[in-house]
Amino acid sequence: MSSAIEIRDLHYRAGKTFEIRDLALNVPTGSMYGFLGPNGSGKTTTIRLLLGLLRPLHGTITVLGGSIPREGPRVLARTGYVPEQPHLYPSLTVDEAFRFHSAFYPTWDWKWADELLMQFQLDRGRLLSRLSKGEMGKLEMLLALAQRPELLVLDEPTDGLDPVVRRDVLTAVLEYVSQQNATVFISSHLVHELERICDWVGVMDRGRLVAELPMHSFKNGIKRLRVVNAPALSGDTPFVVLSRETNDGSAETWVVRGWQPTMSQWFSGVGATLKEVIDLDLEEGFVELLRTFRVPQA
Amino acid sequence: MFRAILYTQWKWSRLVILLATLAGFGLPLLSVQGARGPVGYWETRQLLGAVQGWGVLYPVLATAVALIVAMVAWAPDHRGRHVYALSLPLPRWHYALLRFAAGATLLAAPVVAVWLGGILATSMAAIPTGLHAYPTMLAVRFGLAVLVVYAIFFAISAGTVRTAGYFLGALFLVVAFEAIANAAGAEIHLFEKMMLLLIVWPGPFDVLTGRWMLIDV
Repeated sequence: MSSAIEIRDLHYRAGKTFEIRDLALNVPTGSMYGFLGPNGSGKTTTIRLLLGLLRPLHGTITVLGGSIPREGPRVLARTGYVPEQPHLYPSLTVDEAFRFHSAFYPTWDWKWADELLMQFQLDRGRLLSRLSKGEMGKLEMLLALAQRPELLVLDEPTDGLDPVVRRDVLTAVLEYVSQQNATVFISSHLVHELERICDWVGVMDRGRLVAELPMHSFKNGIKRLRVVNAPALSGDTPFVVLSRETNDGSAETWVVRGWQPTMSQWFSGVGATLKEVIDLDLEEGFVELLRTFRVPQA
Repeated sequence: MFRAILYTQWKWSRLVILLATLAGFGLPLLSVQGARGPVGYWETRQLLGAVQGWGVLYPVLATAVALIVAMVAWAPDHRGRHVYALSLPLPRWHYALLRFAAGATLLAAPVVAVWLGGILATSMAAIPTGLHAYPTMLAVRFGLAVLVVYAIFFAISAGTVRTAGYFLGALFLVVAFEAIANAAGAEIHLFEKMMLLLIVWPGPFDVLTGRWMLIDV
């Protein structure tokens, strides 16, 4: 399986308090990769590093087969980027923004740009400074899509948008992916949004990648278990115990990762009883994952 | 790509360019308005005085228009923290070069205006015997002054706020050191020497000093 984005041993520091440490990340070609993490976890910094907007202290970044930052321009010509904050020149009109942006991308598709313009109901003559947040979000997405990129890097593209605009924007992305088989790297802290559209997920917290796995494994692998007569854990469990809470008496609630139905036999082997296996949605799994990650290591 | 960059820069600085072009065209005409009728010794002296007096405004105009165009070239990128510029698929030096070239192209308008204004003014004026018109040389000098000031301030405004802070901090330290040293009785003139380094040949701003004469001996 080839990778659209491959990051190895990445280290970056900004100021005295924030750093990205030993980051390794792999985005399969053709996937929709959801990059999850709370605010301030390092998602935007990682995106800026992988686009060559920031320089790492060390580590390797390969995007679409090109080394970043050495082959940055060649890679950026094939990458559509929607940043967290609107980055276009506000003194231009929508039409002028089109003309400016299209001049830099040889693969720019005018026909499709016009179609998207109609679909998003944007006024060509309107100044960018007069656009609403939703209209600006749609324009940013339009510019990224109309360049027909092989890779779309979307940094919280729907943050602060109303549900209608959010749906429009995500629908346009999904349509594009279905046509082009492009790779999408989308960061968000809106877990439910990614749950519906992504097939891979990476979770970032405090500058480190906490987990990276296929979405179905993430969704299905994290469970809440009700256990009676729970044993002391010696570290030989077939799953990863993320948290463990005593309820009343001998009953405990465990949150585990890497769960498979056959593992229920393990409990009878250690003298415990598994009373219930409860599915967690992505958000609950995400919260439990972060909670475990943040417990100080002894 | 150049056309796209040129268009944005035109949109951001067109008012300044238009005003500078009008001023550049008008300055030579205003400087020779006294040279209409018969000319004697006193009229000749008056004409030279007027030309020299108006001539002070050429370096002022060159500095003002070049400074504003240089700052405007980077201002929108600064506001957007350069994210857009850096995410465009071209090397940074190439982008900076395109921005520089676009600004320099726009600045050609006031330079041409000074040249045309100079030709028109000197063709309409009654130039006394022994004096000569230098519209082309004046325009070349104006163009050089514009280019030098533009290049320097383009480079300065391309830097980050932190770089500007370091620059201003260093300047403040020099002035503070000089003030303290002079208060203690030492005769130190660091700031004056620095200024002389800039405005006396081979300093870059030497082009702005001296007499700017459309008509001279």
